[in-house]
Amino acid sequence: MKYSYIKPRHKTVFTKDIQLLLTFFSVTLFMLFSTYAFLLFRDYRFVEEVADINEQKSELRAGILKMSDEIATIEKQSLLAEKVFTKNSVLRDSIANLFDLVPSRITLSEAKIMEDGLILYGITPNKDVYNFMLQAPLRSIFHRTYSSFYPDKNGWLRFVSTNYIDEEEEIGNEN
Amino acid sequence: MKINLTRQNTYLLGVSLFLLIFVVVFSFSILIPEGKSYRIKKAELKKESLELKQLSDFSIEKEVILQKLQGDNLHAIKAFDTEFNAERFIKQHRSFFSSLSVSKSVELENEDGFSVYEVNTTSEISSPKSFYNFLEAVNKSDWIIAVNLPINFKREGEMISSSFTMRVYNNLKDTNSTKQ
Repeated sequence: MKYSYIKPRHKTVFTKDIQLLLTFFSVTLFMLFSTYAFLLFRDYRFVEEVADINEQKSELRAGILKMSDEIATIEKQSLLAEKVFTKNSVLRDSIANLFDLVPSRITLSEAKIMEDGLILYGITPNKDVYNFMLQAPLRSIFHRTYSSFYPDKNGWLRFVSTNYIDEEEEIGNEN
Repeated sequence: MKINLTRQNTYLLGVSLFLLIFVVVFSFSILIPEGKSYRIKKAELKKESLELKQLSDFSIEKEVILQKLQGDNLHAIKAFDTEFNAERFIKQHRSFFSSLSVSKSVELENEDGFSVYEVNTTSEISSPKSFYNFLEAVNKSDWIIAVNLPINFKREGEMISSSFTMRVYNNLKDTNSTKQ
């Protein structure tokens, strides 16, 4: 038995209003969760990048330390090499000056060059030649000069000239 | 005034309130703190990147200095690494002397962080000029050699015999690595 002439409407909980509301909140929630996921991902990337940067920094620091050590070593080597080369050059000039000092009339038979002195053995025609031409310049260089002579076969004189530089005197003069 | 709420409207209001509260709570308790943390970490990363760049620039500067030093002191660096070899020394410097002999090297105390060897040398030269040339050539040799005083020159006929000592400088050997 029918009580109504119209067909009953199909009723649902998801009315138009509810659907609109759910759509709105779905979009809102999606945006919220997306933002949260993005932040989580960026945080994770930051941590990774910072760790990577720290590793690179450690490597760079170790490299810089190694290079600094190498630079210090090379500077030390260069300094010593320069010192040695200068010493050799000064020695060469000193020996050259010494032999230039000896006049042609005097012949050297032996020369001992020491840190603080010089011993010369040689032959001179006479004492005057030795005194004026060799001893005088030697006296201007050394603090103490001693000479001894003994006659040679041909009437010339053999001599031994011992010359010293007093280091203490040098220091005293500097002070 | 009486408000008549249908059951459907009540559901609607309930769902709306629940979702609104969820959004507010989620935003304030999770999203905003996470955003703050993101900002802090971003600033930290920027700071770290800046430090890395500074370190990198400093490292490049050091490398340039090192390369320049290595280039300028190539001979000295190589010479300090080369072990003294008497035979090779004689071969290289024989031309300056009529005869040249080098005795076995004796190790002296380390000097300024370098190992030092002393070698006695006896030679014969025809003129002092040969000795000057030798002293010049020693500075260009494969080793760091200092010619030491005393030096003795003695005339023997037409020749001059000379005897002197030389100091050869080398890098200190790493004792830990040799022990392995």
